[in-house]
Amino acid sequence: MQADRPITPSTLCIKDLPWQVLWNKEKCALCGRCASVCPVRALELGVFRKRTINTALNLETPSSNLYSIFHGVRQKTEPQHACVGCGMCTLVCPNDAILPERSDEADKLRYHSNAGGLPRTRGGRRNVKDGILDRIKFVRISMLTDPALDAGRHEFELRTLLGRVLPPEENLKFQRENGWIPPVREIYPLVIGSMSFGALSPPMWEGLQMGVAYLNEEMNMPVRMCTGEGGCPPRLMRSRFIKYVILQIASGYFGWDEMIHAIPHMKEVPCAIEIKYGQGAKPGDGGLLMWHKVNKLIAAIRGVPVGVSLPSPPTHQTKYSIEEAVAKMIQSMSMAWGFQAPVYPKISASSTSLAVLNNLTRNPYAAGLAIDGEDGGTGAAYNVSMDHMGHPIASNVRDCYLNLVKIGKQNEIPLFAGGGVGKNGNLAANAAALIMLGASGIQIGKYIMQAAAGCLGSEGDRCNICNIGLCPKGITSQDPRLFKRLSAENVAERVVDAYLSFDIELKKIVAPLGRSTSLPIGMSDALAIDDKHAADRLDIKYVV
Amino acid sequence: MSSQKFFEISGEKTVPVEFDQQKISLTLHRSDDDSVYVDIKGPPGQSADSVAFSKKMIIDPASDDMSWLKSGTDVTINGATNATAKDNIFGKTKQVRIESRILEEELQQAIENGERNIKIDAHGQHGIGGRLHRAGDEKVYILIEGHPGQRTGSMGFPNTRIEIMGPASDDVGWLNAGAEIIIHGNAANGAANAMAQGKIFIDGNIGARGMTMTKSNPRFDPPELWILGTAGDYFAEFMAGGVAIICGHEGQNPENVIGYRPTVGMVGGKIFFRGPINGFSTADAKQIPVSDTDWKWLSDNMVLFLENINKPELLSTLTKRSEWQLLTALSPQEKTIDTRRSMASFRQGVWDAELGTGGLIGELTDIDMSPVPVIATGKLRRFVPVWENNMYLAPCQAACPSGIPVQQRWGLMREDKTEQALEIALDYTPFPATICGYLCPNLCMDSCTKHADILVPIDVTVLGKKSIDIDAKANVPPESGKKIAVIGGGPAGISVAWQLRKQGHTAVIYDRAEKLGGKIESVIPNSRIPKDVFKKELERAASVIPHVHLKENLTAAEFEKIASDFDFTVISIGAQKPVVPPFPGNEKLVPALDFLFKAKAGSIKPGKRVVIIGAGNVGCDVATEAHRLGADDITLIDIQEPASFGLERDEAERAGAKFLWPKFTKEITDDGVVLTDGELLPADTVVISIGDRPDLDFIPEGVSIDRGFVSVNAAYQTTIPNIFAIGDVVRPGLLTNAIGAGRKAATTIIEVLSGKRPLEDTSPVFSDGKPAIDKSRVSLAYFDPRIIESNTLGDCASQCSSCGKCRDCGICVSACPQAAISRIEVADDAGYEYTVNDDLCIGCGFCAGACPCGIWDIVQNSAF
Repeated sequence: MQADRPITPSTLCIKDLPWQVLWNKEKCALCGRCASVCPVRALELGVFRKRTINTALNLETPSSNLYSIFHGVRQKTEPQHACVGCGMCTLVCPNDAILPERSDEADKLRYHSNAGGLPRTRGGRRNVKDGILDRIKFVRISMLTDPALDAGRHEFELRTLLGRVLPPEENLKFQRENGWIPPVREIYPLVIGSMSFGALSPPMWEGLQMGVAYLNEEMNMPVRMCTGEGGCPPRLMRSRFIKYVILQIASGYFGWDEMIHAIPHMKEVPCAIEIKYGQGAKPGDGGLLMWHKVNKLIAAIRGVPVGVSLPSPPTHQTKYSIEEAVAKMIQSMSMAWGFQAPVYPKISASSTSLAVLNNLTRNPYAAGLAIDGEDGGTGAAYNVSMDHMGHPIASNVRDCYLNLVKIGKQNEIPLFAGGGVGKNGNLAANAAALIMLGASGIQIGKYIMQAAAGCLGSEGDRCNICNIGLCPKGITSQDPRLFKRLSAENVAERVVDAYLSFDIELKKIVAPLGRSTSLPIGMSDALAIDDKHAADRLDIKYVV
Repeated sequence: MSSQKFFEISGEKTVPVEFDQQKISLTLHRSDDDSVYVDIKGPPGQSADSVAFSKKMIIDPASDDMSWLKSGTDVTINGATNATAKDNIFGKTKQVRIESRILEEELQQAIENGERNIKIDAHGQHGIGGRLHRAGDEKVYILIEGHPGQRTGSMGFPNTRIEIMGPASDDVGWLNAGAEIIIHGNAANGAANAMAQGKIFIDGNIGARGMTMTKSNPRFDPPELWILGTAGDYFAEFMAGGVAIICGHEGQNPENVIGYRPTVGMVGGKIFFRGPINGFSTADAKQIPVSDTDWKWLSDNMVLFLENINKPELLSTLTKRSEWQLLTALSPQEKTIDTRRSMASFRQGVWDAELGTGGLIGELTDIDMSPVPVIATGKLRRFVPVWENNMYLAPCQAACPSGIPVQQRWGLMREDKTEQALEIALDYTPFPATICGYLCPNLCMDSCTKHADILVPIDVTVLGKKSIDIDAKANVPPESGKKIAVIGGGPAGISVAWQLRKQGHTAVIYDRAEKLGGKIESVIPNSRIPKDVFKKELERAASVIPHVHLKENLTAAEFEKIASDFDFTVISIGAQKPVVPPFPGNEKLVPALDFLFKAKAGSIKPGKRVVIIGAGNVGCDVATEAHRLGADDITLIDIQEPASFGLERDEAERAGAKFLWPKFTKEITDDGVVLTDGELLPADTVVISIGDRPDLDFIPEGVSIDRGFVSVNAAYQTTIPNIFAIGDVVRPGLLTNAIGAGRKAATTIIEVLSGKRPLEDTSPVFSDGKPAIDKSRVSLAYFDPRIIESNTLGDCASQCSSCGKCRDCGICVSACPQAAISRIEVADDAGYEYTVNDDLCIGCGFCAGACPCGIWDIVQNSAF
């Protein structure tokens, strides 16, 4: 700061920031790349006056004072320029002279990132590192029983069902009486969860879709991806690839007119329709696309003006009760594709999840329930929603599953679990744990962004600037200068790699259970945890 | 084969059914060929616990200890499987399969006994024919009839040749380490599993998982598996060596001779096959052409195979080279090569083919989606540098109410244009020496950027004082005929008249005083400024403004006439009517301006004790003058913390004046000032100095007045548009405020007269209305903090940070890592500018960081 200015309560120094940029004068070549690439322009060339006091050893020679100037990389302290720790500077530095380092204490910036009385908003995920899923172990390893399968040699068909599976007698009765049975899809159990076109950049979104299409058509893996609520490009609607797509309708209803106009030209029925009522990262909030990201293209797809923020209401505005919401929405969305697409709601994990589930069990049109836990990610939300609101997915999905067991419908209405699956990189283990707790399938978001596009975000509050359109990897930016850093083809390749390796890992886990063609949904006797309370709560084994 | 003599072993024995668990009597006999037979006599009896007859089935009397074998020994026949019966004594017998272990023992014993041709009547015994190492290098031939069990030939030795005269069960040749196994029939699952040496010839088909886990050890020849027919599913899983040959001849599965999902995990070896297949694990194996060497090997060994299975007639059928194909394992290096379809090919051939050119959004945007480098140049830069020379006001100029371009003057000094630097001041003020040099609190210095780094600001008074000798007459143009009346010849009035005259208009000043100059002339103490400085500047001003009417005390009617006679009228009469609160005894008060006027004129002598009510800067001047005139007990009181500052305050304090607050006056008595709390401040003279109001008696009604002052807009127009008001008549201010107001009013008038703006337009339009520069753009590290004083014009000029004005130092050119910045000559006043080569620039902003003057900025690039 300037020496002639008084300090204010919000005057911060580098130490007060979440990240300190360690700069090595010795190594630095002053090439400017760090400053050029920094998404928040945290770095600038500083001019430093260096002083040397020259005194002789014997004190007989007169002393002197010498100033010199050097230039170096300086970290800015203004909140809007506070380093976000993304590490792009380190990435581009030819001399390894620069590295952001996380503050060793709670930063002071957090007490001041509320200028104008507006609390902090950001993108990313809950800033809490560990989770129960990583602690769950698979203790049932059958070497000579079950029988043991060889994940590398035996053939597996790891598939799950999305749709309402009625018991045979009921199915027949239903068909007899109604002339219709609920549509059911056999899909890969790992679904790319809803991330909208708009929240994601064009190459990111297209790359994910392309990777999904590749997995289906080249690798025979029926992977599905949900659109999110940003509409769906008409070309995709009209293509055969739409059968790999779960269309999402959410409270903002963005882009639905274009999608409706595309219906007459569709050659395939979409995989399913997801009705979003809630999101794990920000329970109680609707979607929020900040104006930074609403450019011409996004506006066209969403059917809105350019450059306006697009908040979605927390609820569907014309639905006043759970019965109405479920019945009305499911029926309406079923009608759109002649009752040929499964329709299911997605909610944020909550202590009220059971109420929703119980309602769905009474509605034969309900194809399933997706539950998004507190560790889910988002492009933009209030920090408080992200960090402190929501329900852990494990116990929530477990409660729901056990409730289905109690009423004998555990094989009828699939539960899809999401929210922090693979948050520490253990995707297959987390997914398998949730499946054995009762989920029929898993939704992922952040993991695929990290794996397929190199998202830099972390639970340590690294980067997490998806909301302002400055994603340094081009994943969540709508600025061509940023999103052109990403190639859809590369993303697609990484999607394929991630899925293939996930597939191998999942096989490694389920093979010793003797499962090769049916997922061990609810097979909780294979699970254990070294925490008695958690074991009791989840009704799994307690091991030490 | 039939001519050979065999030692025969049967896997089935005939035993009396009643023998089970019975006590019997045995009689031993030696037969012609020295074998020992057992005669069983006696009726079944009760159980006996004598010798368990389990040691050997066939006893060699020559070598075995026969001492226990006595006729009539009681023996328990355990499970009826261990007996050998020559005769069927009791007539009731059954055929019993002997244990694999027993058969193995018999076989090993036979080898031990030197038998090398052994015929085995197999009854499902496992592992027959393996491990015959006791024969050493001697060839052993095992002929198996009947039904061998699993793993025939397992752990076979190279000395062993096994011929099965019918089909083989599972895992034939398991862990074969060299045996040759011929099967005249089909083999079940797992044929050749884990075989490492040896050969298996199969005159038929095999089941699942044949040739799996096979090895090849460099010390031995690789193993071979020959199949005349076809292979079952999962063939060659984890095959690590050896050769498999699938002839596909009249096989079980002619549509797919190698079965479903072969070669998973295959890492070595070769598979020759003949006939159609339905794929194999391309992640592990590859199909390669049959080379000449391979073909020679195959056709040569085919002869041997067919001989072994007794079907030499098939040779010509099975040696049509074109019918044979070859699979081999991928090398680890080859496995790392991704054999998946490239995404580029998928995108082009599948994705875009279905969606259309440009993929998902090809129809919605024309943005080129090709990737960009992370460090980009040109239009791909997120930020671009801009050279903003002279775009912002230096803080000094921005702070100067007169608008004097202080920093530009120092810049000219640096360019050795001293004359020009001094002359410029007269474009802004007629009193650069008087005001900048002495009387101004120098707001320019207060706002000097150098404070930001605790550096000493540039001393503008040095420049001001040097301005005394500039000649102003030279550039005054002839009069235009437009006339402006200026009512009041103080600093504001002189300023507006000066500006108007310098632009060629006629300004006529009216003042009721005897001399021009207003407060500077009449009330500002001489201690503040040498007398001749103002005198000289006033003369210079008067030389430019010839029309001055002094001692004119205008009436309302006279003013109205002037206002209608002149094109414009400017009221600049100042404020001289003291504000006097209505407390008792206020008639005893001396108004401050009266005091100062009389003090300067030498016509007042205050008492020893002076109390001044109102401790502002005017009050301070009163204190200083009172001290000069002999007062020694001076008190200034105020109802709040005094607002006085600067030289006025300093000098009052030097005069020993006390400042007291908050103090509320109750009344003035002959003894002094009585405060509301009853305290008496004794005083001989009490001066009231809480402000003055203009005397507006002559002002026409149409001019709006607010709380005693004339209301004006930002252009200093009153509510009658051609009547302006400036200076203290509008609001009390500094001399420099009055000077600035005069210049701005003049500018407005000049612009109206020249038709640049309508008279009614009340918006302020001043040519120097640029924003002030953000001081943080200026780099002060380049200055020496130990320079604490600059006394000469040159020193001052060199220490000026030249905020917002390029000093042409070229640091940006040096600092740019991309060599993107260059200096070019241009035909403007500066004669140069710095430009950026967009194709080189990466938008790092180092130019902005390095620039001493804050000229460079880094801004968001224009929309893509």
